Amino acid sequence: MKRRKFIYSVGMAGVTLPALNITAACTEKAKAKSVINIFLSGGLSQYDSFNMEVDQSVLGNSKIIDSNVDGMRVSHYFPTLANKMDKLLVINSMKSNQGAHPAGIYKMLTSYDPRSSITHPELGAWVSRSLTAEQDSLPNFVSIGKGSAGTAGFFPGQWAALPVMNTRTGIDFVNRNPVVDESKFDQRLDILSALNKDFDDEYGNKDTRAYVDTYQGSLRFMNSKDIDAFDLESENENIAGLYDNQEFSRSCMLAGRLVERGVRYVKVELGGWDYHDNIYGKLPANAGKLDKGLASLLEHLTQKGLLDSTLVVVSTEFGRKPDVNPNQGRDHHPDGFTCLMAGAGVKAGQIYGNTSKDGKFAADNVLEVTDFNATIAWALGIDPAHEEESSIGQPFTLANKGEARKELFA
Amino acid sequence: MKNILPLTLIALTSFTLEIHAGEDIVPSQQIDGLVQQQIAKAGQLARPSIDDYTFCRRIYLDAIGRIPTLDELDLFIEDKEPDKRNRLIAKLLHSKGYQSHWYNYWADLLRVKYVGDKLHHPGNYGQWIKEALRTNKPYNQMAHELINAKGPLYKPGNGATGFYAREPMPLDHLANSVKTFLGLSIECAQCHDHPFDVWTQKDFYKLAAFSSRTHLRVDPTADLEKKRYAKDRKILKNKSFDEWIVYRESLRVKHAAIHGNGSGFMRLPHDYQYDDGKPFEAVQADVLFGDMPKLDYKLTKDKLNTLNHNNSGPQINARESFADWMVSPNNPLFTKSIVNRLWHQVMGTELVGPVGGLSPEEMGPHPELTEKLIEIMQDSGYDLKIFLSVLFNSQTYQSKAIALDADRTPDYVLDGPIVRRLSAEAIVDSFLSLRTEEPDRYVAIEFTWDGFTNFYEKAREMGVKDFVEYSVKGPGRGAFQKREEVAARKRNGDIGPKHLWRVSTYGHVDGVHAVAMLMGKSDRELIDSANKEPNIPQILYLLNGHLEQEIIGQPKAYLHRKLETTADPEQRMEVVWKAILGRLPKESEKPFVSHRQDDLIWALLNSNEFRFVR
Repeated sequence: MKRRKFIYSVGMAGVTLPALNITAACTEKAKAKSVINIFLSGGLSQYDSFNMEVDQSVLGNSKIIDSNVDGMRVSHYFPTLANKMDKLLVINSMKSNQGAHPAGIYKMLTSYDPRSSITHPELGAWVSRSLTAEQDSLPNFVSIGKGSAGTAGFFPGQWAALPVMNTRTGIDFVNRNPVVDESKFDQRLDILSALNKDFDDEYGNKDTRAYVDTYQGSLRFMNSKDIDAFDLESENENIAGLYDNQEFSRSCMLAGRLVERGVRYVKVELGGWDYHDNIYGKLPANAGKLDKGLASLLEHLTQKGLLDSTLVVVSTEFGRKPDVNPNQGRDHHPDGFTCLMAGAGVKAGQIYGNTSKDGKFAADNVLEVTDFNATIAWALGIDPAHEEESSIGQPFTLANKGEARKELFA
Repeated sequence: MKNILPLTLIALTSFTLEIHAGEDIVPSQQIDGLVQQQIAKAGQLARPSIDDYTFCRRIYLDAIGRIPTLDELDLFIEDKEPDKRNRLIAKLLHSKGYQSHWYNYWADLLRVKYVGDKLHHPGNYGQWIKEALRTNKPYNQMAHELINAKGPLYKPGNGATGFYAREPMPLDHLANSVKTFLGLSIECAQCHDHPFDVWTQKDFYKLAAFSSRTHLRVDPTADLEKKRYAKDRKILKNKSFDEWIVYRESLRVKHAAIHGNGSGFMRLPHDYQYDDGKPFEAVQADVLFGDMPKLDYKLTKDKLNTLNHNNSGPQINARESFADWMVSPNNPLFTKSIVNRLWHQVMGTELVGPVGGLSPEEMGPHPELTEKLIEIMQDSGYDLKIFLSVLFNSQTYQSKAIALDADRTPDYVLDGPIVRRLSAEAIVDSFLSLRTEEPDRYVAIEFTWDGFTNFYEKAREMGVKDFVEYSVKGPGRGAFQKREEVAARKRNGDIGPKHLWRVSTYGHVDGVHAVAMLMGKSDRELIDSANKEPNIPQILYLLNGHLEQEIIGQPKAYLHRKLETTADPEQRMEVVWKAILGRLPKESEKPFVSHRQDDLIWALLNSNEFRFVR
């Protein structure tokens, strides 16, 4: 292949390979190869979605409907998922210590409270760093949607998420500029290679070489046989037909396609849940997106035989209060909220933990955010307590002292 | 301290109108002398000097943050006077480009950022920093004003308050202030005795005692609220959520302020775990090192300890004393930290140590040089332009850059600059040097209004009824800020089309600069957040992005207009090389002349030589 010419430099593939000992500790039990994290920023109302196990007065306008699993009930805003509850584990006892959006999102995605002296890596960056192999041509942390970027924190920038702002436009600039054909592009690379080699002879250092390596990585990405993952129009009709045409559904389809090609961590953000007023006017449309998109994704993964090796996580920074306020909204509530998991051997068709009947507090089997994240890591075979040091030598871990709740898995 | 600097330096402090060519040669030579001694000691050869082309590109990048335009480069090369480098340095330091370039640096250090949930809008803060750079405010004064700022956040000219408002937590703020101005990391001691340093948690609390009771309050004070606003607030809240929000936010623009000036006492935390104090015990303000300023206490510590443990005593303006101590010439870290920072920024190496990890005693691998630079900074009256001018005029700066690498690095590296990647903003602003002959044209020369300062002024005339009126009949929740921004923009007058702005002109109003972010521009979350690392989206932009339409194939771009003046392929190649790399083509590069011009421009823009300064 012509572009090999570009490779004159030392160093492997633009990727610093991970410390293998991160994964050594607990690989035997790991069933998950990949994670799809659907992140509902703004704060999903647990009492208008998946936690119906509270006093009727807490549920506001939500009506309880039965699901395809005995004893599991959902809000009527989720009629499609009601028929998929056999694939979902509902965790009703989530608890966070952060009640404002930026801090809550940060906590959920990094396991740490935000500090003004350091940025911690997101879960996806930890996973990518731990599991990336030399032959991978797609980045192992992809973030779909307009939400938070997917920071690598104090890790090198290469572990940050590859952002896909919009499934219709895909990855920015991943294709040759339309005015440049392939042979022209190759000629340009030849000139560039010669110039860089010349500069490197006199002024080369690790920074200049990092650039040469990352150019290679980027070209490999452009030419990856898996790059078609981003082209949703090429999806087979029996899979594409599972989804509607909304952006969130398309994002879910893309997530499924990426996982099929081995990407380890895909974050899909669906925002807009912050309903301080008129919640019953505003929630149904957003609930509809989640209802259809997630149900389609579960079916997609099932049909492709990927659900056994993919952990699907639906999370949010906190829930909403049990009482509806005078503006017909619900305010922030980190003391007891709901997240979902599916696939990779989780105890699907079950409810884990609960809140007090008045909806005020997580009561049984309380799951802190840090434990939640440790559980995800454990499912992937990553030691959640593995330490990495920041630039000034402070040790941090993926789950910040959280412990995996292994009983969530069969 | 003995004053070794000649009087000429003092004359330079007023050199805004005239260019005093040659006058700051002396301290530059002192630096060179010290450096040469050290090189001799290390048995190293002195670095060769650089030619005018290399110098011109380097000084444009280091002084004003972009490559020179073709005309600027030609003008300098054609100048035959022996003092032309010195004159160029002075010219650049007094140009608008200086403010633009160094704003990026200071805004990263001082973390100018919108913190939404605290309603800390950074426009006024950013303007204050730009104004300090425009007027060349002495650095010690600048630091003092930031540390001791008080009053309304959005009052025009009072933007220094943005520094305190940046953190919701006083202890976090203290840790950041100390890191910003002293280069000292004590954040660990906030929660426990420092694991590998001498600072204890108690030391931290003693230092925090100076500024205790200082806080950002975004809403009106309790008294004012009760007397004037509470009634309407309640009515609106029950009537319409949107009107209530506009009422709340508009009142905040008027009333958000830094209150309090320090009581000189602090209470130990509820979980204090060491033997030298008890939880909630009052501790008295004390400094980490240097001279303890005298505080005008109204109350003894023993007396305070008999009172409720929420009580940290009456305010006695102790925060001002803290600011005095921070910026004092006797503070062993204040001057050393800024000198270390500027050396690092200009040369790329650490003079003393990491910019955020100094210690009071440490003087770096060449203590005499550090001592001398501290002295120059102090004798200049903390004049940043004079200090930079001294560095830029040194032979040390004007010598060949080396590539710092593990296997090629000499023992001693304080003898000149290293090869560095350009900052994110400098990369994007350098594209501008290829698109227009006047890249600095739209850098503002005076205070620029934003929605918040604009509304603050308007709100000064507004009574209680006006706020209600504004909320009920006003623009509504979503449009409130936007409407004020539009009004502010009109007030600012013509600032030109966006595509001709330098990166420093982009801000909260127009969103962050997307391409600069790809290149590693600071998100201003943390001190010094900018990075210079490659990543896939960045490289994809350079390979396949808008440069094709904006520069490479854009006939209206300045570069192409210059190219049109000659048809000769070799001359055209020379134009391209000078425009992008700031030098003539090498003999070995001459065969490239057979390639298409757009392919050459593309390759040069993607080359390491373009994004690194040598």
